[in-house]
Amino acid sequence: MAALVEARGLSKSFGGLFAVNDVDLTIADREIHCLIGPNGAGKSTLFKLIVGTYAPSAGSILFAGDDVTHLPAFARVGRGMSIKMQAPSVFRALPVRQNLHIALQHHVRPRDIPMEEERLLTLLGLQADAARPAGELAHGQQQWLEIGMALALRPRLLLLDEPTAGLSPDETFRTGELIQRLNAEGATVLVVEHDMAFVRQIATSVTVLHLGRVFARGTIDEIIANRDVEEIYLGSAHDT
Amino acid sequence: MSAASNLLNGPQTLGQGRAFWSGAAAVLALALVYPAFVDSYDVGSSAYFLCWVFMALGLCLMWGYGGMMSFGQTFFFGVGGYGYGVIEIYLGVAHGGALASLVAALLVSGLAAALIGYFMIYGRIGGMFFGIVTFAITLALAFFLNQTAGPEWHIGAARLNGFNGMQGMDPLALPWFGGDIDLEGTPFYYFVLALLIVVYLLLRMLVNSRFGNVLVAIREDSLRAELLGYDTRRYLLVTFVIGSMLGGLSGALYCSWGQFISPSSIGLPAAAMPVVWVAFSGRSDVTATLVGTLLLIAGFQALTIYSEQWALVLMGILLAGTVLLAPDGLIVSLANALARRRARGRAVLEPSLAER
Amino acid sequence: MLADSFSYFYQFADVFAFLVLSAAGLAIIFGMMGIINLAHGEFIMCGVYVTSAAYHAGLPLPLAQACGAIAAGLIGMLLEVTIIRPLYSRPLDSLLVTWGISLVATQGTLIALGSTFPGIDMPGHSFSVGDYSFSSYRMVLFAASLCVLGFVYVLFMRTRFGVHARATMQNPGMAQALGVRKGLIYAVSFGIGTGLAGLCGALYAPTMNLIPTMGTSFLVEAFVTVVVGGANVLLGTAPAAIALGIIRTGLNAWYGQVVGEIGLLIAVILIIRVLPDGFSGWLTRRSS
Repeated sequence: MAALVEARGLSKSFGGLFAVNDVDLTIADREIHCLIGPNGAGKSTLFKLIVGTYAPSAGSILFAGDDVTHLPAFARVGRGMSIKMQAPSVFRALPVRQNLHIALQHHVRPRDIPMEEERLLTLLGLQADAARPAGELAHGQQQWLEIGMALALRPRLLLLDEPTAGLSPDETFRTGELIQRLNAEGATVLVVEHDMAFVRQIATSVTVLHLGRVFARGTIDEIIANRDVEEIYLGSAHDT
Repeated sequence: MSAASNLLNGPQTLGQGRAFWSGAAAVLALALVYPAFVDSYDVGSSAYFLCWVFMALGLCLMWGYGGMMSFGQTFFFGVGGYGYGVIEIYLGVAHGGALASLVAALLVSGLAAALIGYFMIYGRIGGMFFGIVTFAITLALAFFLNQTAGPEWHIGAARLNGFNGMQGMDPLALPWFGGDIDLEGTPFYYFVLALLIVVYLLLRMLVNSRFGNVLVAIREDSLRAELLGYDTRRYLLVTFVIGSMLGGLSGALYCSWGQFISPSSIGLPAAAMPVVWVAFSGRSDVTATLVGTLLLIAGFQALTIYSEQWALVLMGILLAGTVLLAPDGLIVSLANALARRRARGRAVLEPSLAER
Repeated sequence: MLADSFSYFYQFADVFAFLVLSAAGLAIIFGMMGIINLAHGEFIMCGVYVTSAAYHAGLPLPLAQACGAIAAGLIGMLLEVTIIRPLYSRPLDSLLVTWGISLVATQGTLIALGSTFPGIDMPGHSFSVGDYSFSSYRMVLFAASLCVLGFVYVLFMRTRFGVHARATMQNPGMAQALGVRKGLIYAVSFGIGTGLAGLCGALYAPTMNLIPTMGTSFLVEAFVTVVVGGANVLLGTAPAAIALGIIRTGLNAWYGQVVGEIGLLIAVILIIRVLPDGFSGWLTRRSS
């Protein structure tokens, strides 16, 4: 399969501290790729480098064969990326429906928007709350709303940073099913997660980050069997 | 036509439905017949009040909808006013010259706004620094113009005249078959009223349009908006240019009304006035700003007869007080309270819906 | 040759002193609480007026100037406790409220004291270097600006108050949990900020005509110095004053006052584009 995303030698430093250090990452088209690693490993920073919120200190990023390294975030979104960030960031003061409307407006014809809004509201189970300000929703609902907004863009590459944080086990499972359905419809998905059961449910392949570098790659079974990975999570391994 | 009327009402404006629009039509009817019942001095005063509203509406757009706290509206007021004066003195009033000067003054304001806005918005200056920098350039312009009293300070035949203010321009005139219509007194009143209606309706449509939806999203969370694919800087720049041009429009109309413009319209305390009007009214809504601004200007004029200083003290207290006690703005808070009471009333009548 | 160099130095020192003295108080309040006090000019005006009143009541000038600074400081503390404190989580709103206060203060002074007030003659003598003559009082102002920088350094780096204040600046919740009286720190810091503004006014009182709107003459320079310098007085205000002082002196010398003013503003906009957190943000980031 062709690679949708190719990151080569990607680095990001903040005043001398490398949050991401010389990372090579290839995400094949139509796979579900999980990014795991202990806290502070650089996963969210890597996400921001891919979508363009941060400019890299070094390295390059290819998206569908084009070099997007110096492209601003909105342009990358225009090319087919979509991101749900770690901290819930919906438009809190605006109604739920308006949140979806703004997400849809960019690429859906005006007359089709109401239908798409309904479709998403039903998918997310938010019809009853459509008129409420998004900030009044429960945390889990806000997470789903944000995923819904990311979906509304019908992206080629969907980046989800901890989509199950704060969700109940049932909601977590449904999120996994949603992601698999999207993948079946053609979306490539890159997910940052801590929930190993969730990763096992959905992942095609896994990359482990540690201290800003790629620590291990493989299928979920390979990663779980890897003693070194276990150690970095438990904290007994230290880089000298 | 229905698409346009769809945009007149929408998520970003208060006041919709039959009750509101009937009320608005009634107010408009009153405004149209008003000159028949009062003397020409009062008509002139009313026209004077109306001139200022454009500046307030522009700030409402930039600040309330775009989240850009611009303290520079009087800067563009000055650019528009002096621009009209300088260009009109050059072109003369005949053959639509004054009207062309008005348009030219607007274009100059727009150009200045595009330049300044580009530096700030694409330079990622935002939040309170946006206010500080716009405030600083406003004070600097007033300072500069105050120094230009000597005869060497002129643009073409127009002497800037420093703190004395620029004079010598003609008021607006509409070219017409059989002779220009001088826009003074009652004709000027109708001209400004017509402009105001057009600008108000266009702004309503703008903020409820796709553009307005994105603008409000940028105001709420500009990073999120960018990550939905919108170039936030472009939206903010366009908003800044439109809002500042409305400030320039106020300046040009003011200059035409009094055939006079001076730096005192640019510096302090004038620079604070649009902020007071919009903060007091409620920056999040155009209608509230329109109503609140007219109320405050009329009230200010009434007080100024006794003491301008006390009137300004009141303005300062209103600004601080509104922000501390009713941060959404007084008019907006009242409108929301009214809406809530009506909703509760409806719930009493229809309890089954209220159970939801 | 020596006279020319000294003349340039004198002009630079004059601008530098003005920038530091007018901006220091604003920078402390901004660094401490993240708010820009738009009534800053009025605290300067307060310092001027109180100094003049005290001087004409018979106090010697230095004592009158101390009165000016202290009065501004006390009024600032009062204001902080009553009106400003609810606004810490709303920095943009504090901008508006302080602007309202500024309006009330200028117009209120106009009402109470009229449009003019007796001024103070400039003390000190003139001295000559080569063909030029200079005012010794202006050199005193330069020395005063250096003293202010020194005072801020000692206060914030070498006293217990300074430690508490810096802790509160970095992490108010944590500092409070460790026993620091956050409310007191904020009130005193605000008072120091307005007190320094009052001091600026007191020091410049002998050089200006007293009108209630005189605060405005300090405002633009103070703002741009704080915007360019960033939140830290020592790492920000001082280097900003140096940089802006050089720019302003150069432009004044070559093109005159008006270009100097406009050029300064353009320089500010350009500098912020490159260093959005000002000098102090850039310097603190480099050292980490």
